[in-house]
Amino acid sequence: MDVTVSVNGEQHRLDIEPRRTLADALREDLGLTGTHLGCEHGVCGACTVLVDGEPARACLMFAVQADGCSVTTVEGLAGDDGTLHPVQEAFVAHHGLQCGFCTPGMLISALHLLETDPDPSRETIRAEMSGNICRCTGYTGIVDAVEAASSTMRDASRPPDRP
Amino acid sequence: MSDAEDTAGAGGTGSLGRSVRRKEDRRLVTGHGRFVSDLQLPRMRHVAFVRSPMGHARITGVDTAAAVDAGYRVFTGADFAGVVLRARSALPSYVETDQPVLAWGKVRFAGEPVAAVVAGDRYRAEDACELVEVDYDPLPATVCAWAAPQVPVHAAAPDNVLLERRFEAGSVEAAFAAAAVVVERELVTNRHAGNPMECRAGVALWDAAERKLTFWSGTQVPHIVRNMLAELLDLPEGNVRVIAPDVGGGFGVKAVLYPEDVALCLIARGMPGVPVKWVEDRVEHLAAATHARDHRYLISAGFASDGALLGVQADVSCNVGAYSVYPWTAGIEPLMAGGLLSGPYRLDNYRCTVRGVATNTAPSGPYRGVARPASVFAMETVLDAAARELGLSGVDIRRRNLIRPQDIPYTMPSRLVDDSGHYGACLDAALEALGYEQWRAEQARRRAEGGAPIGIGFAVYNELTGLGRAASAGPRMPFRTGHDACTVRVNPDGKVTVFSGVTSQGQGLETTVAQIVADGLGVGYDEVEVRIGDTDTSLWGFGAFSSRQAVIGGGAAHRSAVAVRDKVLALAAGLLEAAVEDLRIEGGQIRVVGEPTPRLSVAEVARVAYLESNRLPAGIEPGLEATQFYDPVRGAFAAGAQAAAVEVDRTTGELRILSYVCVEDAGRVMHPQIVDGQIAGSIAQGIGGALYEHLVYDEDGNLSTGTLLDYLMPTSAEIPELTIGHLARPAANPLGVRGVGEGGTLGPNAVLAGALGDALGVAVDTLPITPATVWSLMRGQEAGS
Ligand code: FES
Ligand code: FES
Repeated sequence: MDVTVSVNGEQHRLDIEPRRTLADALREDLGLTGTHLGCEHGVCGACTVLVDGEPARACLMFAVQADGCSVTTVEGLAGDDGTLHPVQEAFVAHHGLQCGFCTPGMLISALHLLETDPDPSRETIRAEMSGNICRCTGYTGIVDAVEAASSTMRDASRPPDRP
Repeated sequence: MSDAEDTAGAGGTGSLGRSVRRKEDRRLVTGHGRFVSDLQLPRMRHVAFVRSPMGHARITGVDTAAAVDAGYRVFTGADFAGVVLRARSALPSYVETDQPVLAWGKVRFAGEPVAAVVAGDRYRAEDACELVEVDYDPLPATVCAWAAPQVPVHAAAPDNVLLERRFEAGSVEAAFAAAAVVVERELVTNRHAGNPMECRAGVALWDAAERKLTFWSGTQVPHIVRNMLAELLDLPEGNVRVIAPDVGGGFGVKAVLYPEDVALCLIARGMPGVPVKWVEDRVEHLAAATHARDHRYLISAGFASDGALLGVQADVSCNVGAYSVYPWTAGIEPLMAGGLLSGPYRLDNYRCTVRGVATNTAPSGPYRGVARPASVFAMETVLDAAARELGLSGVDIRRRNLIRPQDIPYTMPSRLVDDSGHYGACLDAALEALGYEQWRAEQARRRAEGGAPIGIGFAVYNELTGLGRAASAGPRMPFRTGHDACTVRVNPDGKVTVFSGVTSQGQGLETTVAQIVADGLGVGYDEVEVRIGDTDTSLWGFGAFSSRQAVIGGGAAHRSAVAVRDKVLALAAGLLEAAVEDLRIEGGQIRVVGEPTPRLSVAEVARVAYLESNRLPAGIEPGLEATQFYDPVRGAFAAGAQAAAVEVDRTTGELRILSYVCVEDAGRVMHPQIVDGQIAGSIAQGIGGALYEHLVYDEDGNLSTGTLLDYLMPTSAEIPELTIGHLARPAANPLGVRGVGEGGTLGPNAVLAGALGDALGVAVDTLPITPATVWSLMRGQEAGS
């Protein structure tokens, strides 16, 4: 089947089997291997991407369902010049990753959380990020990172200080 | 946790002890990690395994015709019958058994690979699996290690016991006769699994012309895998290259050579020039990757009226699953359980029989903390039980018995030698951080005035880390795991490339090794690049297990860096006509002691070493490189204590962690964030095992928790905020470090069971502690009162 999908701002036309998951299309057909597969049954969140701005489990979605959609993956977060997104920067600064396997899904979930709730409490972060499993960090570094990113992003979006 | 520091311009201040930015993070946060599953090679084909749906059955027929007719390559047990995995050990009671690459004759656990198919993509490979027909004749299955089998798993072991060993010291009879109280318990711990977020994966490629095998694998132990593959496939070891690129967690599960790995390599040899790839899915992983911690302890302990521990007698059965795990053997859990049961407590009279029992379940293997999350639970449980009978507090009975600094070196009843002794200090610091007295007061208040019951639990433990040749990991196997190697090379431009034998599955070894080399050599952290996980580039490393790499791989990196520094200085001394003793390297600059400005840079020395041999001082060889091994000979014990306050919801049976504290002696802390991250991650795994994670087999040997919907892994909503403290007592090795990878997992079972017991006055004998467990304990209590 013919599918037209925009991934990280770039249009792609793919001829794809109807049973192929979005995750496999991203990873194998487009070479965007940043989106990871941890369970392939919708529990771990490693495959989380944004589809038209909403988080989706790329392992549970067929690529053909993304026809006409705009998809954001972890590869789309950093600036063109390589500058890390504040969420990525915060994960590095606060040791929000160890093996890095859950990280792409964590970053996308965190990004979506901070877009919908710019100033979440640690408890809210823990609740909202609970759709993504990390086996390495014990979550401390991840919660620290999301908290730090929220403050950087709020500072950046605030109008310049007036005395 | 503190922020990672920017090292740009850090100059010569040294990087060890600081949370420098991790070298691996940039690629990992931008989606450019290099995991095995990301690998795409020209002409690559995909493998899927046909797995047994039965726990125990004779295979009466394998029909591959339909799959072959449809154009698929199919391999069955008969194709690979010439190769078996036979984990060897020289222990007297050990019964050696074979694990087939693909089952033939019979299957011994549900999920065991029976056939393999090769197709153009994974979808088609799974289609092909459906076309392979296997006929089974079911046999009675045994899933419990303390039940007699109707039909043994292996004919060589009619009682299913693959290994039995007794530890004995002093006289338990005399000790019990003198005891004021002897407590006796039967404790059962829950089977669970390491479950790294990246499942297993491999790509194998056979070059027929050169007779060379390349195997990309998410393994923790590439050099051991190379050694084993060379032996199994009868190849010169130099013709086998194992590459472990980025690996998404391991925790011991990936320190094993699996039949699927060997199958992949054999398939590759049958399809020269075609890279064959297998990426495991989670359902396969839960069914067929190694499990752990399925133990029963029959334990008695005698105490004097002041709480002094007089004697311990135990009988420990460990469910080792269907096969003796390769290459570690079925001894891995039972021997660790018996060797370290007494933990950080002084004990003279000890008798412990341990056995590894085969069953029709997935093989057990090494999992972070090997056996000790269970054995610590057993030991701490009898301490709490005795304290209650003697009217002592849990804190007092522990303090009364802990190995103290003045006891060091302390020979444990299993004859392991403890070099730590800092247990009391860890416990005191943990109680202080917990706010022990306040929680006790709050507990008393609630008991008087009503409110959800509160309990406090503890665990004190010793983590045996960085084992050298004298304490080598594993039970008398054909290899001794004491040393690692490292090569440090200063390139002609003065930058440094390190080829280290360590591997990393998230522990940040590229970073830590770079820190060690930068400081040892006297250059900036940013000047050092570290390459790991490729047997063609690093000389040797046993890999990641037993919390060994910071101590051993780190020691090798340090020694190599110092050797290169010595050569840089000798060369510089010749160029400057100065005495070596008067020269220092800092931040890549070489200066004469007492002079304000540097005379020479490491880069200039490197240029001479490679490109300007006309300037080489007499007697100095070109090049700037050194390779050194390090073996600590003994191990370094790391002391740890954990404590928690929990609250029990009497209506739902839910246990809520109000505060969780861990204090460990990691020795010298090389990278505070990484060390705390290891501790937090291991505590979280321990909490998962204590409260949620449970692999359950039905009587026929079917795994009834085969997806992440039934096998519950803790998320950020379950794991509480953790308070982590340190006692940094340098160990006796070049860097003063102790391993820190596993200790955190040792406490949670004991802490949470103890806390629940303290809250409700019940005895927790079975794990995990689910709301249903709590509820039935409360019901039992009501019925009893
Ligand atoms: S891989 Fe999609 S949720 Fe786990
Ligand atoms: S960093 Fe390894 S799973 Fe999260």
